[in-house]
Amino acid sequence: MKLKVDRITKQYKNKIAVDRISFELTEGVTGLLGANGAGKTTLMRMMSGILTPTSGEITADGIPVNSEEYRAILGYLPQDFGYYPEFTAREFVQYIAALKGIEKKRARKKTEELLELVGLTESAGKKIKTFSGGMKQRVGIAQALVNDPKILILDEPTAGLDPKERVRFRNLIADISKDTVVLFSTHIVSDIEHIASNVLMMRDGQLIHEGEWNGKQGDLEEFYMEEFK
Amino acid sequence: MASDYKDLLNEAFSAPAPKGKDAFLKNIRPREVSLFAMIWQQAAYIRVTAWLLAALVVGVAIAGAVLKLESAQNAVTMLMPFTAAVAVIESNRSRRCGMSELETATRFSLRSVVLARMTLLGAAALIVLLIAAPVISAVTCEGAVFTAVRMVIPYLLTMSISLPIERSSLGRKTDLCSLAVASVVAFVIYYVSNFGGAAFTGYLQVIGRWGVLIALSLLALTAAQQWKTINKSEELA
Amino acid sequence: MDIEEIYDKIYRYVYFKLKNQSVAEDITQETFLKYISAKGSIHGYEIKYLYTIARNLCIDEFRRVKPDPLPEDFEGPVTDAHRTIEDRLAVREALKKLDPEDQELLLLRHVNGESVGTICTMLNISRFAVYRRIKNAEERLRSSLEGIKDGK
Repeated sequence: MKLKVDRITKQYKNKIAVDRISFELTEGVTGLLGANGAGKTTLMRMMSGILTPTSGEITADGIPVNSEEYRAILGYLPQDFGYYPEFTAREFVQYIAALKGIEKKRARKKTEELLELVGLTESAGKKIKTFSGGMKQRVGIAQALVNDPKILILDEPTAGLDPKERVRFRNLIADISKDTVVLFSTHIVSDIEHIASNVLMMRDGQLIHEGEWNGKQGDLEEFYMEEFK
Repeated sequence: MASDYKDLLNEAFSAPAPKGKDAFLKNIRPREVSLFAMIWQQAAYIRVTAWLLAALVVGVAIAGAVLKLESAQNAVTMLMPFTAAVAVIESNRSRRCGMSELETATRFSLRSVVLARMTLLGAAALIVLLIAAPVISAVTCEGAVFTAVRMVIPYLLTMSISLPIERSSLGRKTDLCSLAVASVVAFVIYYVSNFGGAAFTGYLQVIGRWGVLIALSLLALTAAQQWKTINKSEELA
Repeated sequence: MDIEEIYDKIYRYVYFKLKNQSVAEDITQETFLKYISAKGSIHGYEIKYLYTIARNLCIDEFRRVKPDPLPEDFEGPVTDAHRTIEDRLAVREALKKLDPEDQELLLLRHVNGESVGTICTMLNISRFAVYRRIKNAEERLRSSLEGIKDGK
């Protein structure tokens, strides 16, 4: 699978949020680093078909981002998401499964599998409004995976997870990344260290670094010193 | 004659087995769930309030007919704005509850969800109209069409005002805006029909002559607003 | 119609035109992608538009590449053991004598089973013209076959 981002730009009235970014991703995990306001979320929203780019193209094996076919192979977890207040974890995932065009029986089976995978089987029948931040995030991950996506885009997926949950998340991602293109954004260096084989760095809407993560911790820390001082 | 040789033609035109077929088709299969099935599924996610309100309108109409209450006409007409407000609120629930982004990134996408809800609630409103209008007109002895128009105008008026308000940042955080619009319209109906005197009679005369035309214009206006809401649903996510 | 069947039909058609397995698959897949690109959201794939796109892509491919001096010689699997070898050879020979346009029509109509309406859209000609051309192609196949059988 080739996920191609080609000279993508998002321009608002008085600001360029994403400035002519190009890169190509294939199966495996890519970490997206950048300070707040660097344009990570804007880029991810364009890659999820939520935001229309001002110019440029995004395609997956030639399938354009603004098509139903692309969304059919996409799983997306936004930074902040809501839920219909009456939903239980199970109902939430099944609802999204239905919108992803999955037929009812298969959706039910898949929902149970995923809730088990993220460790929410016990709480599956409880309302999401009773959940902790970490539990809610896990429901979010479950809904992103319900259609066996080939492309997984996760915006700050480890924010709000406690260390134990973070490890569980990393293991989960490492598993799926074998035949999925995974892109996740984060502030946490150790997330990148542990699971990303490829790193993209953004600043002020531009791609300032793209390359393999081969354990050069020094570079990464230096980057952070610069970005977050 | 060529059909006699169909099998031989098949052989003659056959091609070597394709190699990348499965992998490619996995990416582009059509949905397992049809659009119709999806709209029907959405019905389960519309809150009970909306259906109850529709049922209430029908209930009041029928009760009014059975008990021969003339006030049923007014009661029903005053309920219609609220039916419209609730329809607008339900259509916009994705945005209010923070589900817009998640729904947008799905195969059917947010637009289909909003469209489905509008369609279902619109169909419900139509059924209400088809039952309540003839029932009421049996009591008031005014034409069924006239009664229907009297019910539809406040409904469409409320909807065409609420929809743009909901799209603006005003309507983003609260359900109250649409309800407020409905309350104002209902109050105006109440006031004019009870104390309006000449204004009220004048209004009824206008409706009598031009009612259907007015209703159709409002319908067009409402439809345009609904179209805008559906199209902008993803931008506003 | 099953998407697999549609893929097979388009692929068979493109292979007939280009006579090369890997190029035919590339073009088939490009056909689907172009269709998706144009249509955006899909509930099903409309074959007549797929054929039209495929046909145009084949024309582009012809213009782009010099014709292969040694086209692939492929023989499909035997589908009906009741047919004699003579019949089998006769049909192939007869087909070879026909114009490509006639061959194309016979493929579309009798092998892929496409309706006249679909063929109309593809070739952008009237229904009447399609009927006439198919009848003529069938007639030419028949006389070609007779010629071969008489010649024996």
